[in-house]
Amino acid sequence: MDQVEKIFETRELNVNMGPQHPATHGVLRLVLDLDGETVVNVTPYVGYLHRGIEKLGESLSYFQALPLTDRMDYVSAMSNNIGYVVAVEKLFGIEAPERAKFIRTMVGEMSRISNHLLWLATHALDIGAMTVFLYCFREREWILELFEKICGARLTVTYPRIGGVRNDITQEFLESLWKFTEEFPSRILEYETLIDQNRMWLKRTIGIGVISAEEAVNWGLTGPTLRGSGVPYDVRKFTPYDAYDRVEFDVPVGTEGDTYDRYRCRMIEMRQSNNIVRQCIEKLPPGPIMADAPKFTLHPKDAMFPITHPTKEHAFYIDEKVCKGCGMCLRACPVKAITGEKKKPHKIDQAICLQCANCLAVCKFKALKIVPGGKGLSEDKLKELAQAPLPEEITKAKEHLVEHFTFIKRGPRAPEGDLYVATEVPKGELGFYFVSDGSGKPYRMRVRAPSFIHAGVLPRLCVGHLVADVIANIGTIDIVLGECDR
Amino acid sequence: MTFKKFIKTVTFIEILKGMALTLSRFFSRSVTIQYPDERRPIAPGFRGQHALAKHPQTGEAKCVGCGLCATICPSQCIHVFREKGKVSRYEIEVLRCIYCGFCVEACPYGAVVLTENYEYSDYSKENLYMTKEKLLSNWDKYMPGNKGEEYFKRFWRPMSGDFETPSQQPMFRGKRS
Amino acid sequence: MTPDTFIKFGIDVLIIVIKIAVVLVIGLLHVAYATYFERKVIGHMQVRLGPMRVGPHGLLQPFADGIKLFFKEDLIPEKADKVVFYLAPVIFMASAMVNLAFIPFSHNFIIADINIGLLFIFAIAGIGVYGIFISGWASNSKYAFIGGLRSSAQVISYEIAMGFSLVGVMIMAGSLNLTEIVRAQENSIFGMYAIPQIVGFVIFVIAAVAETNRTPFDLPEAESELVAGYFVEYTGFRFALFFLGEYIAMFIMASLCTVCFLGGWTLPWYVLKVLPFLQHVPGIVWFLIKVYAFIFFYYWIRATVPRYRYDQLMSIGWKILIPVALANILVTGLVKILL
Ligand code: SF4
Ligand code: SF4
Ligand code: SF4
Ligand code: SF4
Repeated sequence: MDQVEKIFETRELNVNMGPQHPATHGVLRLVLDLDGETVVNVTPYVGYLHRGIEKLGESLSYFQALPLTDRMDYVSAMSNNIGYVVAVEKLFGIEAPERAKFIRTMVGEMSRISNHLLWLATHALDIGAMTVFLYCFREREWILELFEKICGARLTVTYPRIGGVRNDITQEFLESLWKFTEEFPSRILEYETLIDQNRMWLKRTIGIGVISAEEAVNWGLTGPTLRGSGVPYDVRKFTPYDAYDRVEFDVPVGTEGDTYDRYRCRMIEMRQSNNIVRQCIEKLPPGPIMADAPKFTLHPKDAMFPITHPTKEHAFYIDEKVCKGCGMCLRACPVKAITGEKKKPHKIDQAICLQCANCLAVCKFKALKIVPGGKGLSEDKLKELAQAPLPEEITKAKEHLVEHFTFIKRGPRAPEGDLYVATEVPKGELGFYFVSDGSGKPYRMRVRAPSFIHAGVLPRLCVGHLVADVIANIGTIDIVLGECDR
Repeated sequence: MTFKKFIKTVTFIEILKGMALTLSRFFSRSVTIQYPDERRPIAPGFRGQHALAKHPQTGEAKCVGCGLCATICPSQCIHVFREKGKVSRYEIEVLRCIYCGFCVEACPYGAVVLTENYEYSDYSKENLYMTKEKLLSNWDKYMPGNKGEEYFKRFWRPMSGDFETPSQQPMFRGKRS
Repeated sequence: MTPDTFIKFGIDVLIIVIKIAVVLVIGLLHVAYATYFERKVIGHMQVRLGPMRVGPHGLLQPFADGIKLFFKEDLIPEKADKVVFYLAPVIFMASAMVNLAFIPFSHNFIIADINIGLLFIFAIAGIGVYGIFISGWASNSKYAFIGGLRSSAQVISYEIAMGFSLVGVMIMAGSLNLTEIVRAQENSIFGMYAIPQIVGFVIFVIAAVAETNRTPFDLPEAESELVAGYFVEYTGFRFALFFLGEYIAMFIMASLCTVCFLGGWTLPWYVLKVLPFLQHVPGIVWFLIKVYAFIFFYYWIRATVPRYRYDQLMSIGWKILIPVALANILVTGLVKILL
């Protein structure tokens, strides 16, 4: 025997699973060491979908960074959006109005359903149940259509806003969502008919990827992946955000901590989410959908109408007496219509001016005047008109416009400090950690992505099982590589 | 193994149930939409390709060239070039756009909108580089009549109504369970 | 030898050649439309439509697929064992095709009516696994290798169960000749052996699914684990050969089931008694209906259930199917002796 081993070296079969592999949910790469069919070692490699979202977040204003979160966990973009805005609202110290909170809870739970549907679909497909996949997609499509109805996008929704939501929901949407919630439980039964008691499903999931409660906590697992092991930890219950303290729901937990328990947890969670959506619809209060926090939200468009409406032909004029010659307007003007030397009164060349109001927004000395209906008038005439007091509505509009310009150019200013805010996304605990230096952009934005942490536990779950169980384990921890790699 | 369980095992009851379901679905209507022949309805306010709004009276572009859209755009794909008193070029790199709709929200003049057009795939990059002319013609194509006005009313947000309680708000009117 | 016998021999050969041609054409057309049928059936079960683009209701889809596969680039992995790599799909496909010769489609339509037809089919089907195994080996790819290993283990173990499940039929019919088996069923009380031999029938069905590598026993292919298993490195026409082979093997299994358990081209006497006009329908129609019902069942199963794991599959084969099949043989034998 020794002789043989000397001549023929024996070692494990080294198999590269991914980054292109149908079952690795994107671009996860696992290097498996196989002894026959038994897995002796697993090394996950992540980073194939790295787009530097954390770094990008530091170069965009708090308002602009929102679409980045869509692209982390694109399967449940809505929940990620909500996680982000909840965190930023905490940082700013503002609070969304009740109605917005209920809407956000509602769409958040819809997103949980859609995420769990996709999870079930792919998990079942990996284990070979092809039909469940398409049945799940049928319902997911329904939810995506509902998303489209509220915000115009199906996947990357960018619907919540700091301080509320983008737009109010419509009656039609409410009704179709209600119809969905009435229909959905029977659809869940359909999936369960196919797999819940199926002997093959049971054989493939019971006792696979077992992890004890203590170990699961130590590995940092969250969400249903943790709850499958019997730890009833749910951010929605422990530190309720949005309207979660006003709706009733249970947190399902498993007992064994195996793949089947995690599957059961998610199935029950879908039903719970469905209930939460129904409660939100019923309890939806009337009221505003954006917080009244002018420094942190966009400004109402109609308030600026007296200046910005296309029928208004205003001219902009610099009052020579007030102008200090600071040059701010000169730098802000996109067409270089303003001329003037430093410390001397500046002047607008009306022939070049676009009437875009950039200069208006930067002048700190109120030297810039709006001349209502002054477009095309001569210099002298403008000079004369500029002295006249402005109507009330234009003054108001001017205030809004100035703040709107400042908001967009600099971003909402956050107070200095740092904070960590966690929300419960379908995959687990999504945390945002901000370090703010008081500017319009975060100094550091760190995302605690559940997928990343769950991907780390794969070796622990897979070693000792067979190749086929690796697939089941990838499915059961429910990862999305977009979020894992960021 | 109890007797009941044994019976369940040898009769394949759970598999038969599943098969009954798939068979019943075999005879039910399929949900497929034959895409180029049929299209699913697009919800109003869909965030598709851009268009530059035209002035309702003069028919010229409403855009004054303030550049706020270019500033807010998270993917920096809007380029505004001005020349003496007018916007000479207004270009959007469609391939970089992520359709977040921030440009619409940022524009104080209501000059840019997202239309319902999602079928703009092409073989050349030039065709996907939207110039001012193409954007203006998009307006005629996808926002005819007062569709544009409707769009602004519903999807150009926020409006003052969002900060207060409007009189007519969608509420649940069905029966409460 | 007189010229008379010579001519007779010539005519015999001619008839056989024609029969072969007919069977081959039917076989290949069957494969083409079995794929179409499968996609449609599974599609509708999954609330989809299946192929719809090529021709009305996608009826020309199989030809489009065939043409596409034919013109596709033929890739061979660099370090593949070339000769073996070329040979594998041919072995796989040929072994499946040869079996068509022993299937009695009707009481007078069989290419080779030999006495040990049943055994022969087993023997030839057993050769098919070599095609799978050596393709896995020759591809010089780990996925293909694992797929090949799984497959050979699987086919070998399920062949035993399948053989045992058919022993009951042999005992009841007292023959290994497939035509004889059908005749024996025709004259039996139940009209088909699926009823008295229900245990054997169930085992046969399970083993047949496993033998042809179909869900839930499609581990060698397991697209989510091994991507495509043993033929992962095959492209173009070579891939098509595997594909053809698989569907012909399915057809063989379905025919075998029809012949041994469902009464072949005959109808049970009680059905004919109630609906006497049915005896005017040619036997081949019943045969094909039964075969396609069985194939539909294959698809139906595929649309419903998940996949087993490799070790579970083996333990089902060895620990459940084979003992139960043995018990079935025992009981059948006892009953036969006692009656
Ligand atoms: S309104 Fe615009 S274009 Fe005119 S001067 Fe001011 S910044 Fe320049
Ligand atoms: S910013 Fe105001 S004060 Fe400064 S140069 Fe311009 S108009 Fe004068
Ligand atoms: S939709 Fe978003 S990404 Fe596209 S141009 Fe507008 S702001 Fe930029
Ligand atoms: S589209 Fe609107 S925001 Fe953009 S440059 Fe034109 S006016 Fe300004």
